[in-house]
Amino acid sequence: MSAIHLQNLVKKFGDFTALKTMDLAIADGEFMALLGPSGCGKSTTMNMIAGMEEPTGGKILFGERDMAGVPMGRRGVGFVFQNYAIFTHMTVRQNLAYGPKMRGAPKAEIDRRVGAIAEMLQLTPLLDRKADRLSVNILQRVAIGRSAIMEPAIFLLDEPLSNVDAAFRAVMRTELKQLQRQFKQTMVYVTHDQLEAMSMADRIAVMDHGVLQQVGTPLEVYNNPANVFVARFIGAPGMNLLRGRPAESDRGLVIDLGPLGATPPLPAEIAAAVRGARGDVLYGFRPEQATLVEGGQGLSLPVTFVERIGARTIVHLGQGESAVKAVFDNDVGLAIGQTAVVAPAVQSVRVFDAATGLAMIAG
Amino acid sequence: MKTVQAKPALRDEGAKLGFRLTLPAQILVLFIAVFPLLMQLYISLTDWSPLSGLGWWSAWSLWNNFANYTDLAVDARFWSALKRTAIVMIVCVPAEFLLGLALATLFADEFPGKRIFYSILLMPMMVVPAVAGYMFFMLFQSGGPVNDILSSISGFPVTIAWLSDPTLALIAVMVADIWQWTPLMFLILLAGLVGVPEDQIKAATLLGANPWQRFVTIVLPKMKTIIIIALAIRMIENFKIFDTLYIMTGGGPGVATETISVYIYKLTTQDLIWGYVAAIALAILIVLSIAAVFTMKRMARAREVTA
Repeated sequence: MSAIHLQNLVKKFGDFTALKTMDLAIADGEFMALLGPSGCGKSTTMNMIAGMEEPTGGKILFGERDMAGVPMGRRGVGFVFQNYAIFTHMTVRQNLAYGPKMRGAPKAEIDRRVGAIAEMLQLTPLLDRKADRLSVNILQRVAIGRSAIMEPAIFLLDEPLSNVDAAFRAVMRTELKQLQRQFKQTMVYVTHDQLEAMSMADRIAVMDHGVLQQVGTPLEVYNNPANVFVARFIGAPGMNLLRGRPAESDRGLVIDLGPLGATPPLPAEIAAAVRGARGDVLYGFRPEQATLVEGGQGLSLPVTFVERIGARTIVHLGQGESAVKAVFDNDVGLAIGQTAVVAPAVQSVRVFDAATGLAMIAG
Repeated sequence: MKTVQAKPALRDEGAKLGFRLTLPAQILVLFIAVFPLLMQLYISLTDWSPLSGLGWWSAWSLWNNFANYTDLAVDARFWSALKRTAIVMIVCVPAEFLLGLALATLFADEFPGKRIFYSILLMPMMVVPAVAGYMFFMLFQSGGPVNDILSSISGFPVTIAWLSDPTLALIAVMVADIWQWTPLMFLILLAGLVGVPEDQIKAATLLGANPWQRFVTIVLPKMKTIIIIALAIRMIENFKIFDTLYIMTGGGPGVATETISVYIYKLTTQDLIWGYVAAIALAILIVLSIAAVFTMKRMARAREVTA
């Protein structure tokens, strides 16, 4: 009943197309993250779901019901703004009671509902505090509570953690996920932070330049990116992509990486898809899936930079077209100028068509 | 121990030097702010008039204790002028406020030709009050445009003598004040209105508030401080209403439109009883100061609530 269907959704601002024909089905009770760099159209999509903006074309359905022409106050969506939009001239209690009060609910019922929601969000001791001097995590809970009290079937969150400092973000991520389990609503969560999307969402919709790139579970998106954009965008650092050409050898189909002088093998199901392809391909592997090897089959590249990030170390290898990053344990004994030979785990290798940027997978 | 003792001494030295260096400025401020007030107080306790042939400094020879103030307490013309000033304020300021707020609400949204209407709307405020006075003087003549319009609407020849009728003259004067000063109210309130956070209004909409509920629960509370400022400015200004009114009616017919300022002006230029004028001015200053303190206190409370 609170599933969301976006059908051929288009949004244009004058000559600028913010969203190009988007189709997306969000299941009832699902936590869907809209992920992408700024300007990718994710907030526009969210605003159209909320009714703050009219689509230029296409349909938005809540369950079976077409939302065209339904004003934002009547869509039954809860919306948490990026800066929470708390009514600062009111107390926490007045903020929470705002929705029911505007709908003319009786006082006793408002009190009961405010009490219940405050208890659930641990806001009871703060109910009579003015909302203008509260810390960010409390503001966030008030913002969620204020929407949740209306018992919306759909919850929309617009980058709710972007104003929070990094240390606090981790706490809030856990808190938000727990809240979603409590409320069991359909949640749409807009973010540009893949860590938030990965850790909270049931599924992620990756967007770029107004185009939906891929929809899938966090692991699907990470393991099997649909195209070059998703491959580079997801993961920190993103997937390594090297230009090459498929070639037959006595080890089966391999990718000839040209100037790098290496011919790494492919997983069987990908080899099947790549065999027979014309033109260049992009050979991709995750930096986390590379291991150091002594000679033999591998990519032999000079170390250009060693980036230590605590638990692990990111080693930058090669330059320009053949730049590659690899993630190792923090005790890796590599220094700038040395030559390292890295070998990607064969099963983790993905191949993309260099011309279209699409993943090459059998079937 | 020694250094502890030395420090206050040093600070004393510095304070003394500072005092001496700022002494000329202090004397100047004293002269500008305090001297006229003391002079006024001094004259208000005498029967001094420029016709007495004495310099103001020797006004003590015409000392009359508090006679000016006791006269003032029973001066029927003063009290009726004060009442009239209050009536004008009670009608004009709320009217200007409501019109200004309505216009500001209208101008908060986009509509075609907004910039032109905006400029037109602000024009009355920039007209010299004396000119505005002449304008309305002409408009309200018995053969003037106001009667012409009324005639064409009603179909009968209307020849109302606006400025000769005591009640109508007061109404005409108030119309002129509302015409001239609604734009200022509009300007201040519009500034307050555009400062209301957009996302809070959106949040209220999403929570099901209708436009009127949004206005009452979000917009007005957020504008509270600026509303109090706008009202305070207009009340102070309106209390001193003079130029437009004086040119339109001269306070007449009789004393029908005589406000405090007009009364003081007449006493000063026609009756020349300056001791009495000083007493009135001082009494009004005290009353206005008390009113201002009350307003400031309310404003401080409002800021506590909205901040």
